[in-house]
Amino acid sequence: MQPPAEHVHWLFATGVLLLGLCLLAEGVVGTEIWRRRAWRAYLWPGLAFTLGVLMWPVMTFYTNSTIHMLAHGAWAEMLMLAGAVELALVRGKLHSQAWRLTMAAALVVSGLAFLVHEQNSWFFQRSSFLHHLMGWTLLFAAVFPLVRSVRPRSQTAVIGFALTFVVIAVFLYCDRDVAPVFGHISPLAGAPHR
Amino acid sequence: MRRALLVATVCVLALPAQAFAHATLERTSPGFEQRLPVSPRTVTLHFDQYIERLPHAIRLYSARGELAVPRIRDKGRDLVATVPQLRAGGYTIRWHALSGDGHVVSGVFTFGVRAKAPAPTAAFGASGPTRTEDVVRWLYFLSLALLVGGLGFRLLVARRPLPGRFFAIVGFGAFATLNVGIAGFLLRAEDALQLPFGRLLYGDLSPIVRTRFGTAFIAMTLGFAAVAALVFLAWLTDRDVFLWPAFLVGLGFASGLSLSGHSAADAGSSWTSELADWAHLSAAILWIGGLLQLVAVVWPLLPEARRATLLAFSRLATVCVGVLLAAGVYLSILRLPQLDDLWTTGYGQILLVKISLVALAFAWGGLHQLRAVPVVARGGTLPRLRASIAGESMVGMIVLLVAAILVNANPPH
Repeated sequence: MQPPAEHVHWLFATGVLLLGLCLLAEGVVGTEIWRRRAWRAYLWPGLAFTLGVLMWPVMTFYTNSTIHMLAHGAWAEMLMLAGAVELALVRGKLHSQAWRLTMAAALVVSGLAFLVHEQNSWFFQRSSFLHHLMGWTLLFAAVFPLVRSVRPRSQTAVIGFALTFVVIAVFLYCDRDVAPVFGHISPLAGAPHR
Repeated sequence: MRRALLVATVCVLALPAQAFAHATLERTSPGFEQRLPVSPRTVTLHFDQYIERLPHAIRLYSARGELAVPRIRDKGRDLVATVPQLRAGGYTIRWHALSGDGHVVSGVFTFGVRAKAPAPTAAFGASGPTRTEDVVRWLYFLSLALLVGGLGFRLLVARRPLPGRFFAIVGFGAFATLNVGIAGFLLRAEDALQLPFGRLLYGDLSPIVRTRFGTAFIAMTLGFAAVAALVFLAWLTDRDVFLWPAFLVGLGFASGLSLSGHSAADAGSSWTSELADWAHLSAAILWIGGLLQLVAVVWPLLPEARRATLLAFSRLATVCVGVLLAAGVYLSILRLPQLDDLWTTGYGQILLVKISLVALAFAWGGLHQLRAVPVVARGGTLPRLRASIAGESMVGMIVLLVAAILVNANPPH
């Protein structure tokens, strides 16, 4: 009944990639041009919020361990929270740029969730390596929304923030052992069963 | 340097992975909660990857205690235990194995031989709900009151936009409902698995998820995540159109507690007991959630709306009290058919405490209805009315605490 875990990873990787590409497009053409059509302003925050909502079924149905459940719950809440705050900023319900610190906090919590839920060392296996990589990427990337909250027009912060999501999407595509890019089943996992 | 780092990264990504993640139990024989016509010769656990056998990897328990398992062997992805001839009854298997990633994975499941298998939450060794679970259940009730009761107040009583504090309270209720629900589920899993926290992190939750309680947890988590999204959209767009579905979905998914508790699982339960339990819970959260909104939002922030809101709330509260009483009396008779059960059993004694507190809350509410409402209806004011309503809501919250203890207690059979 449930789709294989790798399919779910690819689904979310696609969502995160779209989110990153929207941000990148906004960074390249500039916010003023990007927002000439009002709906575009809601695109990436809405996508983040939707991904957060969609993460809840993952959290509840993939319950093969407690740590999976907790980590996916943390990502669901952080995505919803970060998306909600950005939507509220765009809509004008929130005004202070300090609210952008929420995004920085969400990246830190998400990064920590990656690091805590992966208890093996970097080179233990590919997914371990990628979990560490994603965790540290998110932790370091928290500096971009931090800079945006004090210097909203900083091009480096905008592009860096956008690229964070693009990079995370690529990592997510590669995260499972049957990923199409580097695809194979581990010898320890025995004969392929999918 | 950069190029070397890039090449190294690509190489690591392309290297054969050693394992998928930690081992996951794919299936067992006997199956989870399976009823067998005869004693099994072996118990087999099949994992999704190779595992290593640890000492006492499979432990077998009957209702009387642990039974000796003569032989355990690992065979590829299988862990197989030879078991002695089992008499009719329920049995519990506790297992642990060394996963390919170095983590010890653990779990529990139950089966029955010519008898119904116990639920994993009632597996041998599980001690049942603790005081911590009582507190978590109470917090869950409070969260529901903030969320669903708050929404009900806005739609059925106030019927007008309320200040931002309304959304702050309801939003906090949604956040708390989701997180307290997760905490409650993990506490129950911890008790069933009987594992210290470090090993619980890698404990297999799937048998717990398959129970009535686990199914309710999944449904309620998904339902309240949707409610949280709808509440946020209502705040973002200033449109009531999102509030009604949020309220109805919230009220509907609150039934998860009724569909997985005593009213659904105990002997004598039926759809009427489930319905009565849900009506009882719904009336309580609407009443207490409404009182909190009255005290925290309307009284301090909307003085011009106090009169109309108090009059409308008193009508809703009357309906809630009627439903609470009717459903409560029906459920009490169902669970305690003998009157002396009230003072001779632990469950009955907790119920007596609850009835006393409910009587106090009703008396307090009645006082407001008889003394305060007529004065406010004439346009008058009463000093310290807000404090008095706050006092009533405090008693209501204490009632919820006793209700939480009662829900986790076992009624006499």
